Amino acid sequence: MAYERASDSGQRRSQEWTLAAETEYRFELDAGTSLAIKLLRGRAEIFGSELVEGKIYLFYEECKAAVFTWQGCTIEISQPSTEYISEETPMSAYANLHVAFEGMRVRALLDAQVTAHPEKATREDLEENRDGPHDAPRVLILGPENSGKTTITKILVNYATRAGQDWCPMLVNVDPGEGASMLPGTLLAAPISTPLQTSTPAHTLGSAATSAPSHISSNALLPLGYWYGHAETKRNPLLMDRLIRNLGGNIWDRWDTDLRGRASGLIVDTPSSFSTSSAANNEHRHNLIKACVDAFRINVILVVGHEKLNVEMQRMYGSRVTVVKIPKSGGVVELDSLYRARVHKYQMHSYMYGERVNPPLGLPSLADASPLTGYIIGGEQSTDLTLAPLSSVINFDDLSIWRIGEETMAPTSALPIGAARVVSEMQPLHIDPSLPGSGLYNAVLAILAPPHPDEVERYDEEILDLTVTGFVVVTALDIPNKRLTILSPNQGSLSGRTAILGSFEWQE
Amino acid sequence: MSLYPQSQAYGQMQNPPMGYPQPVAPPGNYHYPPPPPAQPYHVDPHTFRRDYTAQLAELTVNSRPIIQNLSMIAQDHTHYADVVTQCIEAHIRRVPPWMKLPAFYLLDAISKNVYDPYARHFSTVVVRLFIDTYEQVDPSTRSKMIEMLTTWRNGAPSGKELFGVITQLAIERHIWPDDASRNVAVSSSPKGPRRRINRRQRRRQSSSRSPPGSSGISAPQVLSELEIVLNQKERAFQLNPYDKVAQNQIAILHQLRKLVVQGVSQEELGQILHQMRTTLSQPQSVPPPAAIPPPSAPMPPPHYGRPPFPPGSSNHLSAAAPQVSYPPAFSQQVYQQPKPEQVAVPDVANVSTVPPPPPVENIASIFSALVKAGLVTGSSSSTPTGAGATAREPANRPVNSAETATETDKQYRKAILSAQVKLNSADIIRQRTVLPQFLYDQLPGQCKHCGIRFSDSSIGKQKMQDHMDMHFRQNRKAGQATGRGHSRGWFISVEDWTNDSEVDIKGKGRAGAPRSMKAAAAADAAKVDAELRALYVVVPPGDEAKRLSCPICNERLEPEFMEDDEEWVWKNAVNKDDKIFHATCHAEAALSKTALAVRLRSEVSSRSRSRTPEARRTPPKYDSPSPSRGVKRKAEDDESKTSQPSEQSERTPPMKKVAISPTE
Ligand SMILES: [Zn+2]
Ligand SMILES: [Zn+2]
Repeated sequence: MAYERASDSGQRRSQEWTLAAETEYRFELDAGTSLAIKLLRGRAEIFGSELVEGKIYLFYEECKAAVFTWQGCTIEISQPSTEYISEETPMSAYANLHVAFEGMRVRALLDAQVTAHPEKATREDLEENRDGPHDAPRVLILGPENSGKTTITKILVNYATRAGQDWCPMLVNVDPGEGASMLPGTLLAAPISTPLQTSTPAHTLGSAATSAPSHISSNALLPLGYWYGHAETKRNPLLMDRLIRNLGGNIWDRWDTDLRGRASGLIVDTPSSFSTSSAANNEHRHNLIKACVDAFRINVILVVGHEKLNVEMQRMYGSRVTVVKIPKSGGVVELDSLYRARVHKYQMHSYMYGERVNPPLGLPSLADASPLTGYIIGGEQSTDLTLAPLSSVINFDDLSIWRIGEETMAPTSALPIGAARVVSEMQPLHIDPSLPGSGLYNAVLAILAPPHPDEVERYDEEILDLTVTGFVVVTALDIPNKRLTILSPNQGSLSGRTAILGSFEWQE
Repeated sequence: MSLYPQSQAYGQMQNPPMGYPQPVAPPGNYHYPPPPPAQPYHVDPHTFRRDYTAQLAELTVNSRPIIQNLSMIAQDHTHYADVVTQCIEAHIRRVPPWMKLPAFYLLDAISKNVYDPYARHFSTVVVRLFIDTYEQVDPSTRSKMIEMLTTWRNGAPSGKELFGVITQLAIERHIWPDDASRNVAVSSSPKGPRRRINRRQRRRQSSSRSPPGSSGISAPQVLSELEIVLNQKERAFQLNPYDKVAQNQIAILHQLRKLVVQGVSQEELGQILHQMRTTLSQPQSVPPPAAIPPPSAPMPPPHYGRPPFPPGSSNHLSAAAPQVSYPPAFSQQVYQQPKPEQVAVPDVANVSTVPPPPPVENIASIFSALVKAGLVTGSSSSTPTGAGATAREPANRPVNSAETATETDKQYRKAILSAQVKLNSADIIRQRTVLPQFLYDQLPGQCKHCGIRFSDSSIGKQKMQDHMDMHFRQNRKAGQATGRGHSRGWFISVEDWTNDSEVDIKGKGRAGAPRSMKAAAAADAAKVDAELRALYVVVPPGDEAKRLSCPICNERLEPEFMEDDEEWVWKNAVNKDDKIFHATCHAEAALSKTALAVRLRSEVSSRSRSRTPEARRTPPKYDSPSPSRGVKRKAEDDESKTSQPSEQSERTPPMKKVAISPTE
């Protein structure tokens, strides 16, 4: 038997599991429950982020995760909704991938150093770098729904940050349904220097900076994001394409002066629609894959457990990109659309209000917990991770609100026949909040960076190329007085800002 | 087993095993592992005492992580300050002499960092404890204790004696029964906090008096105090790399140390010591005692789903404040090895691009007095250069670590490449066991707070130390910030993002102002510096061979030939009243005369220096419009407004519009 299990007889509140080497303990939580895990002995990691012995880690908001051990460990856990041990994990393959990527990174770094400072290079260095140029791993991860792309992204990023080499891999997320360290509807890039934590699906790929102190820099990320506004790539593939290319351009700008960052490479998590072929979306999905390959100068495509896709990618990109088929984890849980909707809600609430978690029944509350062992929530030791957003009332003309292309704000029935489709997909349309059916009530708006200060530099579609500054929610609409009630993450003024509406709604 | 103690109530600890049920005998021949070390998280005083004592027992050597950990626990448990005090005293008394010093460092760290209530608690026991220990230890430990003792003279947040003047005197009288020098430290302080206002007066007094302690001061004594102050300054500078004042002070301190090493008269020694104690050693801004609220008064959680009314003050101002308020007290670098080799140039990128710092009024006057007296050769660079460099001159750490880093890179490269993993579908699924060695075995030092690992090379140790400092700072911030309320910041602008390539490369976490601002500030400073250095004065024909030095820094101005204009010029030079100055020196001096003091007190000084009207008035080319000013203005705004036009935010204060509030 690969593991031992012992539980307190009579009191089903805690259990101890002893995991054999290269096995994992998987768990799933129901809504409203939380779970505590403590590493008693040995070494263990969650999606590539190591646990500290003796600390109590909390999980919540329907978190689904796995504690994996390379060399065996004993953990103690409160009772989750679903749990089991798996002896079959693809971790060995992911580890090999990581080691292969590390090989690319160290060579890319040497290459960059020799190129930047040829005078400092030793003969040995030059000899070693002879067969250059060497590229950092720039990896695109493809796979169908529920194949664990995001988990693989996370593990590979986390291993890179743990190499002890000061790598700072760029995590890129072009799955608009995911949100990563921003909110669903954005495409973003964030350099990662400490392991991404796991505690809630609201922060699968790190958390953006708050004013609170933070012990883990992946909870204080400075992502760069563009607002696409929808969860589905098919809503506006042209816009997706443009934003992906914008993102790539900025990453390369940044890497201009950052040798180690560039040598760390990037890992791109993609939506499953990139990998699901159907007559309707085949053209745009190929365009979007190509946009990624071009914009991020992808040199490795990982195809998760999908032979047909593997063959397809080999055929299309095999000549210039290394295409590798990798195994899928058996632990990947099927996620339904209702679950995804709830995760969107967790993400939005967490963006505004921070983390709210109650330890499982039978454990001391956060306030009573001792820092001697302490609770760890998403890597943080603080017992108060709540945030205070601001609700304020603004005039209609304080904010300039737009939507990009596609259907106009009025319901189709209210429009002349044929009018709904006259606008181009990329055309910014101004929204008048005073018109009925503006769609603003309860809507999530992305606040954009200001347009170019120099009028001469501005252009019609500039709004498409502005990055996201933050998100606000319209919580009330007072048409007679021309006022909006806005929930915003902080006290920064919104006056004069530009906002874009998408198709996401705030859920209480 | 400790995760689920059956009793949560206080006072049941007469029977501590209650919380740790005996393991049920396992069936068959399963090996049931022994219960884990008891570490309950729910603490009553008895448990806390037991745990703290147990953790103290690990403090057998001078281990900074252990000291930090123990002081963090103390910080988190101020309601058990009496227990902590008793534990530490008992520990010091119990352990053999060679183990006592580390615990004293702990006592020192806790008292300085969590001044209230710990300094008060320790003040009741420290005299006896110090003297008893001092009597038992060997000479080298004694000298370390004396170093520590001297830092207590102004270790309180107010700049006064850490444990009070009486305590300090009681110890010093015992250690130096007849030393006049101790009167200096003590006599100048009891009249209330040392404030800027008093300095001029004090300086006048001190110059009219004969230098105190001039009879019994030894060079080693002055040196050891110098090292202590230098360490504090360098630490402060490391935390706030744009603190030009600290940078300048460090340069001066290096100069002073060089002087002392070279040999100065007793009188000068006394002067240096006195000046150092009365001025240099003070923190630049005196932080309030760490506000650690009692755990019984947690902040009420905001209503979930309903916007709570935010606390009145702006979160973002405080969030964006640079860390000048961090007291230099956590001087554990002193503990390591107070040798110049350890006093490395702070490992901060771009230090060299930061222009020479404008001096603080009092430092400048000391310095210029020393310059005038011919004691010091000035230097416009932040690191001392020139004649007089001794064998003890610190090696430049960046260079050093760069070299070793290359070596470390190489070793890692070899190891990784020797694993020979090929990037194809077949090789990827081959079973190998190489990874744990890279992720765990080769990185034996693990942070006990977050699990991040470090190698045991000197670079790895340095990184781990920096990392522990980060945790410490963040804990401290968390302690101070409770009750203020936090919020999500705006995301940074694309300009800041693409230029911000040093985000957290050391895993330090984001402490204080966002990196983007720092990056912008560095760029700003570098730009101003470049602009200044580009200024030049044409050498009058025939004067090419004339020896000319900058009246401010005394360094020679070397003529250079400009190819384009085919003439000899002095670069980085301005002509003022027919005197040639370094443009950088002159700008600096002009700054220090005007609004420097005001700006120093304002916490954003280091970021806004180049944009204040005073700054832009100085040299001619200085305020030429620069295309990047717009970007910098953004960086100056607080985090919440990173990328919005500041005029607009001024026109419509956000608070005016607040309409919904749960308190209404
Ligand atoms: Zn840590
Ligand atoms: Zn000069």
